[in-house]
This record gives sequence, structure tokens and C-alpha cells, in this order.
Amino acid sequence: MSLPCGIRNHSYAQDMAIVRTRTQWGLLLGLLVVIFTAPLYLSGYWMGVFNTIGITLIAAIGLNILIGYCGQLSIGHAGFIAVGAYTSAILTTRFGLPFPVALISAGIMAGLVGIVFGLPSIRVKGFYLAITTIAAQFIIMWIINQWGWTGGQLGMTVPFASVGGYVFRSGASQFYLIIGITVVCVFLAKNLARTKVGRAFIAIRDNDLAAEVMGVNLLYYKLLAFFIGCFFAGIAGSLFAHYNVSLTPEQFSFRDSILYVGIIIIGGLGTSIGPIFGVLFIRLLQQVLTINVVPFLENSLTMFPSGFASGVTPMLFGLVIVLFLILEPRGLAHRWALFKASYRLWPFSY
Amino acid sequence: MKKQLKRILKITGWALVGVIAGLVIYLCVVSADFLQFTITGISVGMVYALIALGFVLIWKSSSVANLALGQIVLISSWFTYSMMAQADLPFYLALPVVILFAIFLGWVIERFALRPLIAQPILSLIAVTLGIGYFIEGIITFVWPTSVAALPHIFPQEVVRIGPAVISQEYLWVVGICLVVFVLLTVFFRYHRMGIAMRATADDQMAVQACGIPVTRVFSTSWMFACVVAAIGGILISSIGGITHGLVETGLKSFSVVILGGLDSFVGAIVAGPIIGLMENLGGGYLTRYTWAGVRDIIPFVVIIIVMAIKPFGLFGEERIERI
Repeated sequence: MSLPCGIRNHSYAQDMAIVRTRTQWGLLLGLLVVIFTAPLYLSGYWMGVFNTIGITLIAAIGLNILIGYCGQLSIGHAGFIAVGAYTSAILTTRFGLPFPVALISAGIMAGLVGIVFGLPSIRVKGFYLAITTIAAQFIIMWIINQWGWTGGQLGMTVPFASVGGYVFRSGASQFYLIIGITVVCVFLAKNLARTKVGRAFIAIRDNDLAAEVMGVNLLYYKLLAFFIGCFFAGIAGSLFAHYNVSLTPEQFSFRDSILYVGIIIIGGLGTSIGPIFGVLFIRLLQQVLTINVVPFLENSLTMFPSGFASGVTPMLFGLVIVLFLILEPRGLAHRWALFKASYRLWPFSY
Repeated sequence: MKKQLKRILKITGWALVGVIAGLVIYLCVVSADFLQFTITGISVGMVYALIALGFVLIWKSSSVANLALGQIVLISSWFTYSMMAQADLPFYLALPVVILFAIFLGWVIERFALRPLIAQPILSLIAVTLGIGYFIEGIITFVWPTSVAALPHIFPQEVVRIGPAVISQEYLWVVGICLVVFVLLTVFFRYHRMGIAMRATADDQMAVQACGIPVTRVFSTSWMFACVVAAIGGILISSIGGITHGLVETGLKSFSVVILGGLDSFVGAIVAGPIIGLMENLGGGYLTRYTWAGVRDIIPFVVIIIVMAIKPFGLFGEERIERI
């Protein structure tokens, strides 16, 4: 870890601490205060935007653990999110289970489905695994489309989240629920990367044969990565279901799976701050495009057939993903690290 | 011991193939439905094989996994639609224009997206094709916002009777054209300088570079060929089923052909294509009664999972042994 000028570590605990200096503590507390007072000065619309960002972030963190840390490529993340969303919806509507139980079971269910489709990862990797997870996405979505309990194409309505009689109906309460869980998830993911498990993941990513020779149990850790990654996806799905209140299969398309991969690439693979940057970048870009750019294009360029401007968003997303891969493959997180490094010694030049 | 086991497995495998083939032929003779499913299955499977060949071409020469295949199929079908329905070109003029377009598309993708990423990790190479696919999907919505269209008829419409079955003539044309393209590609790879260079690059990139063959041009050519082959596949399949967004899924389905046949095998793709087509059509024809609707579209994906579990490198694929 890079420390500011003149600060030394005197114990192992100090060396391992995430937050080291007083300035960092100040910044962290300031950030938390800003986040948790946001409902006071944000409009309902922007709170909705940040709720979506929070949910996407949880899913992206999961995918980052899977791809960024463990190197197991998954292009079916939207399918695993759908598993979580529908599990939670079915548990609360059909079995009347309370929301916290449904939330956790959604995560576990998605994790188990992830393990099933992650089984081929023991023998194959790279493109083979990508294809397997694409197949997983289509099989999961087929089952959701056809199974009676999920409401098929028509979708299903889901109650608002509620804990002990309190219903998260207002914008502010939903914001606290979602952002609160997001903060916990970010913290968990940050810590996971520093534990034995996280180091095993990184060893597998860098060279799985070498990791195996060093005594990392490949079967266990690869499936664990799938479980954890899809567990986060399931949590995100459950929150999405209870936030959005209505669920249809179209909300979990193959395009979204690609977008999640794009998000963590733009943010920076295998960094804890990367998914945050990536999600903010993509979701804010999406907001600007759908709210400002697309209607503007529709109105000003009338010679084209109607509906053409909705192609701008995927075009730009695709372009951004390609450009990031070519120009900055380490993502925004790397830029951020460079920025921090250049200010570490500031104002001294040495 | 292991050798013997392998031999036994091989013999039982071939016996199984023979039994299944015999059964298929027997059922074709007995049941008209079955014959119909078989012929449509084989012809659709041929198109899958064609699209899959496009994938194998790129994978062999530059080990890039092209996940934008479905979108390339879709955009070339739409372009054909523009040429034939909107610009009113006859088919024999539209086809060269579409092929030129596909060549251009392949060149642009290789030159501007893949060339800067030579020697990058496989994750970047896969993700960049995903990004390209996303971009092409955007272009398609931008230029052709109507999501469904029917291609003008290319092939004669009269039905053909084969024994008890009644079959639309289009399917037979599709099979014929696919066979012609296969033969052309084989001849190209065997006798043309560029074809030989491409095979050599697939074999050993370093050695080829040392011989003075321009590897980047080989990559570029393989992308052009792949796009042309995918475009022909797109025209054939959309002349039967019309142009919908489902063509992207068709492209993804052809990955099951690639996986079943082996990633780096032309023969594999050509053999596995009809197998997947048959499974899809027969499964769709006979299983829909017992399971949920749309089982037809999911069969190729189930095949992928099964092949991954049993024989991940496919029927004809080369098993790579890794060393640290």
C-alpha cells in the first residue's frame, strides 16, 4: 500500500489497515456523511438514479470478484441476477417469508446456480467458460420465461421490502436500504481481497496451474469464486425485485450481461474501487443519454425513421468498452492510482 | 490399461454413431414428419456450420474468440434487406455488394479494434468482441429501427415432394449453397497462397513470421473471410425465417456447433453443424409436447453445457496441454 510522505508502519496491524491516516479517516467519514444525508437534498428522481447505481454496484462487485480477482470469465451475470430476483419474489409472495430471509436466500440460491454452471471451470477456462456462462444465461431465462411460478412473459408483481412491519415504500427509506447494503457489500469485497481466499483467487487468476502446484485447491476456490460472485448477484437481484416492484424477464437480457462485463472493464479489473468508477460512469452516461441526448436527436433529426436514436446508447457503450480496452485496459482505477501517486509527495517534487 | 479403455470407448462411440444414423434413416423412411424435421434440421444446421466456420477461421489464425458473430450475421442480413428491398437490386447484383460490405466490415473490425490488442490476454480479446457486438447492435437500431423485416424471396417458392414429405424448396437451395461454399473454402485453403499462409499461421505463428509472411495481413484476411461467410449464412437463414433480432441468438447458437466440433477444426464445424440442426429440429418437433414451449431454441445451449462436462475440446478439437 502506498503511504503519504513521512508515514511509517510500526506493526503488522498498522500495515494491514485499510484506513491508515487521519486524513483518510476524515475523508471516509465525510463520504459516509454525504452519502447518508443525501435524501435531504436530492430530488426523488436522483435518488432513483442512485438506487439503480447501488443495485448495479452490488452486482458489479460480485462480477469483479469472479472475473477481476479469480479470472473466471462469466458473461451470464444478468441470468444470475434474475435467479436472485425471482427467488426473492417467489419466497415473499408465495411463501410469505420476511424480506431479510428472502434476501439471504436469494443470494444463496443464485450462488448455488452459479456453482452448477461454474462446474465446467474446473476443466476449461477463457473462451470455453464464456460460452458456458452465455448458455447458462439463456437456459436460466428460458426457465423463467416458461415456468408457471415466475409469471412467464407477463412477469410478476413483488411487494415492497419490509423489515419487522416497517415497509420501505418512500424514496428515502429505499435509498437507505439499498445504499446501506451496498456500503456493506463494498466493505466485504474490499476485505475479501486481502484474506487467504482473496489471495488464492488472485493466484488462480495469474496462473491456475502454478496455484495448484503451490497447494491452492482449485476445485474449491473456483467454485467458491462462482458462489461469492453469484451471491452478490443474487443480493442485487433481490433488492432490484423489491425496489422495482414488478419483474419481467426482459429486465435481465443478454445485453445487460455484456454491460456488466463492460462496467468492470471500464472501472478496472481486480481493484476494489474499479466497479464503483465503472458503475458511476456507465449509469450516469446512460442517464444523460436517455434523458437528454436521445429525445434531442429524435426531435432534431426528423428525416430518420422514428426510434432510431435509441441505438445511440448501445453504440456509445460498445464504443466506450472497445476504446477502454485499447487505450486504458487497466480502467479508471489505474487513472485514479496515477492521480493519487502524483499527489502523494505534493507539494514536494521528490 | 488406459489405452485399452480409450480403444473400447472409441469403438462404442462409433457403434453408437452407426446405430443413431441407422435409426435416423429408418425413421425417415417410416415417418413423413421425421423426414421433414430431418431435412429442415440438416439445412439449418448447414447454415450454423457456415457461421461456425467464420468463427473457426478467426480462432485458428489469430486465437481471437469472436463473440460478435451474431451481430455480424444480423447486420449483414439487414444490409441485404436494404439492398434488395429498399434499393431494389436484383439478387445477383445485391450479393456482390453484400460481400463487399462484409469484407469492409471485417477489415474495419480487425484494423481498428483487434490490431491494437495483439498479444493481449484472452479476457481483453473476448471483451473487445463483446464491445464490438454491442456497437453493431446500436448501429442496427440506429439505421434500421424497425425490428422485423422479411427479405424478398431469393429462391423459387414451389414445394418439393421427397417421398411422403412436402418440403419448401428453399431448404434444398440452402443445403446446396452451403456445400458450394464449403468446397470453395476447402479449395482456397488447399491451393491459394493466402490460404496456405493462413493454415501456416494457425500452425505456428512464430515460424510464419520468421518466414516473412505478413501475419497482420493474414489476420485481416481471416476476419474478412469470416465476415463474408457469416454474411452468406445470414442471407440464407433470413431468406427462410425473415430478419429479426433472434438472428443474434442464431449466431450464439452456432457457438454450440463450434464447441461440439472443436474450436480449431473445420471438419468439426461441418460435421457438428447438421448434428446441432438435427437435434434442434427433432427436439423441437417431438419434445415440445412434453416440456415447455421454446425448447427448440434452448437445445443448442444445453448441448454446450453437456459437451463442456464430458468432452470440453469437442469431437475433433485439439487438446492443448499447458505447461507452467
